Amino acid sequence: MANGQLALVLNAHQPFVRHPEYPRFLEERWFFEALSETYLPLLRLFRRLEADSVPFRLTLTLSPTLLSMLGDALLGERYLSYLDNQQRLAASEESRLGSDSVFAPVVRVYSELYRQDRDDFDTLYSRDVLGAFDYFYKKGRIELITSGATHAFLPMYVDCPEAVSAQIETAIVAHRRAFGKHPSGFWLPQLGWHPALADALRAYNVQYTIVTTRSALLGSPTPRRGSFAPVQCPNGLTVFVRDAEATKAVWSESEGYPADAVYRDFYRDIGFDLPLDYLGPFLEEKDARIYTGFKYWAVTGQTADKLPYDPAAAAARAKEHAAHFLAARVAAAQETSALMDRPPLMVCPYDAELFGHWWFEGTLWLESLFRQAVGGALDVVTLGEYQRTQPRSQVSLPEFSSWGDGGYAEVWLDGSNDWIYRHTFKAAERMTELAERFPDESGLRERILNQAAREVLLAMCSDWSLLMRAGRASAFARRQVEDAVANFGKIYDMLCSNTVGTEWLTRLEKRNNIFPALNYRIFRKKR
Amino acid sequence: MNSEKLESLSLEALYALAEKMGLDLPVGLERLFVVEEILDALVEDSEDRRAARDEAVHVDEKKYSGSELDELDAAIDDLPPLEARYNETMIRALVRDPSWAFAYWDLSDAERAALTGVDSESPLFLRVVELNPEGDETKHEHFDIPVSIDDLQWYINLPHSAMRFRIDLCSRKNGSAGSRLRVLARSNTVVSPRQELQPGPDVLDSSAARPLQLARIGYLRIQRSEPDNPLRITPPGMEFQPGEAS
Repeated sequence: MANGQLALVLNAHQPFVRHPEYPRFLEERWFFEALSETYLPLLRLFRRLEADSVPFRLTLTLSPTLLSMLGDALLGERYLSYLDNQQRLAASEESRLGSDSVFAPVVRVYSELYRQDRDDFDTLYSRDVLGAFDYFYKKGRIELITSGATHAFLPMYVDCPEAVSAQIETAIVAHRRAFGKHPSGFWLPQLGWHPALADALRAYNVQYTIVTTRSALLGSPTPRRGSFAPVQCPNGLTVFVRDAEATKAVWSESEGYPADAVYRDFYRDIGFDLPLDYLGPFLEEKDARIYTGFKYWAVTGQTADKLPYDPAAAAARAKEHAAHFLAARVAAAQETSALMDRPPLMVCPYDAELFGHWWFEGTLWLESLFRQAVGGALDVVTLGEYQRTQPRSQVSLPEFSSWGDGGYAEVWLDGSNDWIYRHTFKAAERMTELAERFPDESGLRERILNQAAREVLLAMCSDWSLLMRAGRASAFARRQVEDAVANFGKIYDMLCSNTVGTEWLTRLEKRNNIFPALNYRIFRKKR
Repeated sequence: MNSEKLESLSLEALYALAEKMGLDLPVGLERLFVVEEILDALVEDSEDRRAARDEAVHVDEKKYSGSELDELDAAIDDLPPLEARYNETMIRALVRDPSWAFAYWDLSDAERAALTGVDSESPLFLRVVELNPEGDETKHEHFDIPVSIDDLQWYINLPHSAMRFRIDLCSRKNGSAGSRLRVLARSNTVVSPRQELQPGPDVLDSSAARPLQLARIGYLRIQRSEPDNPLRITPPGMEFQPGEAS
């Protein structure tokens, strides 16, 4: 009999980046890299496990912006161009290093990766990656849940209930449109929870969400099962609690598994090592170095003298780490189960892009974990399965918290990004004003109101404030917020002066084509 | 780092960039040395960030693996900011963590004109009003923060966690009848998050202590609610251990 239960939860998310007005756009690579290194490898992992009859269970968030990009024809076309480029670079690298006994096997790893990605994306799935996830969803192997429409950091907006509801409702509509089912769970962007969100989520029939350990332990009253069981808000919303130990084992950049010396080093990339003359034909701009994805060195340690990457040794270590992870969870379950009235549950939520993209061996670790868990002391479950078998939990209302630095809102509210709230709040307020003034519009005016709502949602994206604070692509991030706010402002002015620039609107609709089913009335006042 | 990109800039632009990065370079340095100093600083900054604390969000940034131009572009590309004002008198409060809140506000042009030149000293101040924790609007305590007529936002250090408060944007006008206070705008009411356990009956008995320890309660530096404990942040090594408390 199992001593406990383990729920792995991955949050797959990309901010909406799509620029048809340019022939190529550097930041679209974020999505292409995640497809190549995380989403398609995850689907291969599912296929292998299914073929071997391994009863895996995974809760997976596909964020609404990611849903939109995965279903977008233009980005699909551009992804194939990206794969062309990666395969050309792989071929060039095989020529350059073909006789090198150390690096040639590493190059072949990448050649094989991009070949499989192309086969899967273009041939096996006919570019319908969502359909591939839906297959495993329908079979009950994975449970797909949703997240904030544009990954807004919701605790900041609890005093603007129209904006919070718009984020939730748009997400649910996008999920239902993609998969034909109402999502049971809702991933809080950045695990940003605030007590006021409980009612907002229940209003849309969300059954459960996940919070940090801090949120739960500081809840009222303190949950007596710690993080080993969910709590239930007074309104019935089930709130699962992140397992802090399991999180650290994987997330920590210095002590977590990905920091192991034999794993592939993320930072050392031929894009920064080889001469520009050679790399030029494979770069977005021939004189601007970028991460190419071709990385030949192992983490090694805190040294610039890296050792060559050995894929076989790294794969073996991933299996060891999966065993170690399971053993640690089993030990915690054994110790806790005697003190509890139900099998302890350990909820392990991570960003999906950690697996494969950053931690190259992460998908191998995941696969190994599922295989090793079969018949062991832990039942691997989805959150929905758990909730159905344990519908009642201790009543407690978790406290405001997030998974960012410091545990609260420091990442999304500091000197680098605090300026955005003046604009996003104003845009949301004005959107509510418009929705109240024009509740029954159709035709062109409805189109423009829907676009206005899209722009408000896009401006609220928390990824941009995160990047501004991190100093990574911060000029680009700032521009995304400014563009969305400016687009909204222009629409607001048009509606106030009763003039609509049809040509401009059509161009904007084509560019920011996210959430085609969006209805601007979601911003109407909550009464 | 992209030295080519730096070398394409004028010497004046390089000095401006260095200043923006907080580098104090001697006047008259040759271009080569200015570029070197900037590159060194960028590398150092990048290493500092890498060595920063291990939180989930650091890993989250990895999916945005851009080009080497990112940091440089962020520094060089100084887009004109959005119009910061909407010509209205308002104030909004946002909570950042148990110790800090953020407020932004604005004055309509008419209000601003009326206030400008009223006094040699700024007539504006923020009144941080602590409200009754039970939920009504009864005032508990308050403190004032003077701000200038040009300020539009402020970070406010909160005296304690779990505090329910609002912020009033106020002006004070000195006249023959004495000082007259006017509330120009009143913020939304917010609550700062608590930092202490809220044990209900029998929660912290021996059967609950171990699950809480295993949930890493010590690591999170969460402490038991003690009315006579003045510390809001527990020093390392002093964390509350469930089951060990008297």
